[in-house]
Amino acid sequence: MRQVVGLLVLAMIAMLLRSTALSSLAARGVVIDVLALATAIWALRNGETWGSTFGFVLGLGADLDAAHWLGRHALALALMGYAVGRLGRTLVRDSARTQFVVLFVCTLIHQVWSAAFEFGGSPGFPYAVGRVALAAVVTALLGTLLLGIVRRMTGHPLFGHAVLDSGSSN
Amino acid sequence: MAGFLPPAERRSSALLGLYAALSLVLLLVGDRVPQAEMRGIGAWVFAPFDRAVLALDRAAAAWRDNRELHERVAELEIENERLRLAGVENQQLRMKLDLPAYRRFTLRPVEVLALAGEPVPSAATLSGGSHQGVHEGDAVVTRDGLLGRVGECYPGLSRVVLLTDVNSAVACEVESTGVLGVLRFAMTPYPRLTLTGVPLTDTVRVGQAVVTSGLSRRYPRGLPVGSVRRIGSDPSGLLQDIEIEPAARLSRIRHAFTISRPAAPEDSP
Repeated sequence: MRQVVGLLVLAMIAMLLRSTALSSLAARGVVIDVLALATAIWALRNGETWGSTFGFVLGLGADLDAAHWLGRHALALALMGYAVGRLGRTLVRDSARTQFVVLFVCTLIHQVWSAAFEFGGSPGFPYAVGRVALAAVVTALLGTLLLGIVRRMTGHPLFGHAVLDSGSSN
Repeated sequence: MAGFLPPAERRSSALLGLYAALSLVLLLVGDRVPQAEMRGIGAWVFAPFDRAVLALDRAAAAWRDNRELHERVAELEIENERLRLAGVENQQLRMKLDLPAYRRFTLRPVEVLALAGEPVPSAATLSGGSHQGVHEGDAVVTRDGLLGRVGECYPGLSRVVLLTDVNSAVACEVESTGVLGVLRFAMTPYPRLTLTGVPLTDTVRVGQAVVTSGLSRRYPRGLPVGSVRRIGSDPSGLLQDIEIEPAARLSRIRHAFTISRPAAPEDSP
């Protein structure tokens, strides 16, 4: 029950941020991919079952908000949540380097997937590449910084140690 | 394959399969799902939170805005006096030529609660809906110029299709020369507004103002849309590729006004 409430609250916060503060930044060319960021962090903390559920719920909300291509964010984020959740068992999740790489790859994949639906031909390729790369770097940096700050404030590891027994996480 | 996996993994794999299948079904048949109703519910749920988040941002900006607006009011009062005299003169001349008088706009103030779409917002949620007199099709403007039109209207909220939606099209004219075109948003080679359908033979210059032409009957005539930023020729070599700098700052919208859709052809010249 606690996880369901947490999932809904985090999904709502991500959607709110996306439609208010982050939309102004996005219009100036700096996309902070809060959908990929929230999904990756949630999946790292809660494993693949909750990771894919969170990704699907958040993605569906984003799809409804966007009004075009219902299901595109839901599919990508559900798969991402599952993959990150599975990987989280064997990664040193509290390492800043690991977090940066995970967030970078997740944002990159999600941005490439989203851009593919808007891609209008080769003239737009340089812009799309620039946008995707910038989003991946900015989101990974910001996410790693955010997790570092939260870890310092709470004073204990956010994700705990890696679980090497693959059957025991859920 | 699933039989080789532990129960927890089987469950998570099955769940992922379900989500993937649902997403694919939505991708294929999502257009037939009643999305407007669901978005209406979503907008209603999120509206109080949007207001709370925006209140913080707006409190910080209020002091600066207040100073700017005082300066702007002073400037506009002087400008208004000049325009009033020109308006009286224009009315007298139109009467002499037997032309119908211009229709006055009624502006209805609304607050912009949320923006949707990346990297450029393509839709916005407004604090006014059918209960506040907002209707589907109403034009939405800021003090700088046109934002778009109301695409979906709910009892207490409405959703605006911004000029930066790929499906938006606005009949426009270049203010000083009367050159006609249709304003559209293109994602390639980069996100930009373009004035399409303008032949190479028409003269358009960088910096000229672009306003609504009123020909589409969706928008009243004369609303500022933007100015010409760059001119080139399109790949066919028959038309101009005119890039428009929007008059309204789409990344910083806080307040807007709705204008009722023009009623009858005789009302607006």
